Amino acid sequence: MRLSPQQFWRIRENQYRLFITVCGSCGRKAILKRPVCPYCGSDRVHHVESSGLGVLESFTKVYYRRNSSEDDLPKFIGVVRLTEGVRVVGEIVGVGADELREGMEVEAVLRRYASDDPYGVIYYGIKFKPV
Amino acid sequence: MEVGIRGWGAYIPRFRLSALEVAALWGYDGRLPKALGMVEKSVAEEDEDAATMGWYAARVAMRRAGVSGDDIDAVFFGTESKPYAVKPSATIVADALGVKRRKLATDLEFACRAAGEGMRISVGLVKSGLARNTLVIGSDTAQANPGDLLDFTASSGAVAFVVGPASGSAAVIEASVSYVTDTPDFWRRDRSPYPEHAEIFTGEPAYFHHIVSAAKLLMEETGLRVEDFDYAVFHQPNGRFPLQVARMLGIPQEKVLPGLVTPHVGNTYNASALLGLAKLLEEARPRSRVLLVTFGSGAGSDAFSIVVQDSAPELAKMGPRVADMMNSRVRVSYSEYSKFRGLLLKNVGG
Ligand SMILES: [Zn+2]
Repeated sequence: MRLSPQQFWRIRENQYRLFITVCGSCGRKAILKRPVCPYCGSDRVHHVESSGLGVLESFTKVYYRRNSSEDDLPKFIGVVRLTEGVRVVGEIVGVGADELREGMEVEAVLRRYASDDPYGVIYYGIKFKPV
Repeated sequence: MEVGIRGWGAYIPRFRLSALEVAALWGYDGRLPKALGMVEKSVAEEDEDAATMGWYAARVAMRRAGVSGDDIDAVFFGTESKPYAVKPSATIVADALGVKRRKLATDLEFACRAAGEGMRISVGLVKSGLARNTLVIGSDTAQANPGDLLDFTASSGAVAFVVGPASGSAAVIEASVSYVTDTPDFWRRDRSPYPEHAEIFTGEPAYFHHIVSAAKLLMEETGLRVEDFDYAVFHQPNGRFPLQVARMLGIPQEKVLPGLVTPHVGNTYNASALLGLAKLLEEARPRSRVLLVTFGSGAGSDAFSIVVQDSAPELAKMGPRVADMMNSRVRVSYSEYSKFRGLLLKNVGG
């Protein structure tokens, strides 16, 4: 999949920063800045930025290479439970296979997701690394 | 208004390449790393660049300064390894940090001293009232022609400072001065993947002349003497030059060693001397006076007199320390280094 600069520009706020949508109707929280609550459909929502800190709950090693992704295979994809209580799926970086373990404390970092090689736009986003 | 450093942050990737491995691979004498004062250098991962590392350092600096994106009026990004040749990195980092839109933001390039210039520009903006707080970032994934002498030193790292009013700051910037000439000691032409340098010419007329001249100018203008400084931090292209330039200025080695990071981190270019300053802010006793002198090829130096304040030790606890990042390290092979830093020529796409 090749992103376009226009598509990326529209979603960059949710790519660059970890927002949480808090619902004023049902009280539940969801990852990403969203206009409506994904659980009850209410638009009585407000947004907070996550501290970026969390715990790695589960992970897997991935060999599949997306078109235009950086050459960083194999990579680790994990489920992180943020301190705000919300789960998010993301890439785990800065760690070897023998060091990864469930329950490990991680923090959000800005990294390259992909780039339109060799002269296209570079797409940045949030990944996680051990604290 | 007096100007100070309100917060600081650093980032050193955890991977390290051994200088002995570089020497063995390229047929250098095994004693060369020691002569250069080099043990190992930091290596960024393939999805890291100057923008991502600068972002990390800046986030920590803003946390220590207790400021949000709404409090930052200017962002200066000093680098010589911009992710884009044309398109600012400052805008990427500022948006990712949530810095407000009403701001000044630009990338600065002057080899290894652009971030030092950013500090001086920030002093001017804060003093004049044009900015309340500025964010200065020095970040590089330095390139070296494989097998060149620079392969022992060119590394990756970042540092950032929030510059603002001196009152309540971690360190007061007492005075600063710059010294700049046209000296072609190191350069990279358009479309050239690696920099070129004029070998031994990078020393005497470039590094040593500019640092000594800037340091002397600062002391002349302030009336401070060498003995008035508790620490000295110089640009660190290798582990040896900073000790040599200290000798030329009559500064004892023990005032230089605490801020010397290059032997175990490499030359992080725009982060080099400023990473040493960040380390001192975390370790020096309050009221210590630090002589900081940057150097950038081409060539120029900025000299600063900086006095550490009482709040620095408390602020140091609010983020990862330089010493800890220096110790948290994993060795990689030259092959891994080549993969991480994109040194291998591949067909693209698919
Ligand atoms: Zn709801």
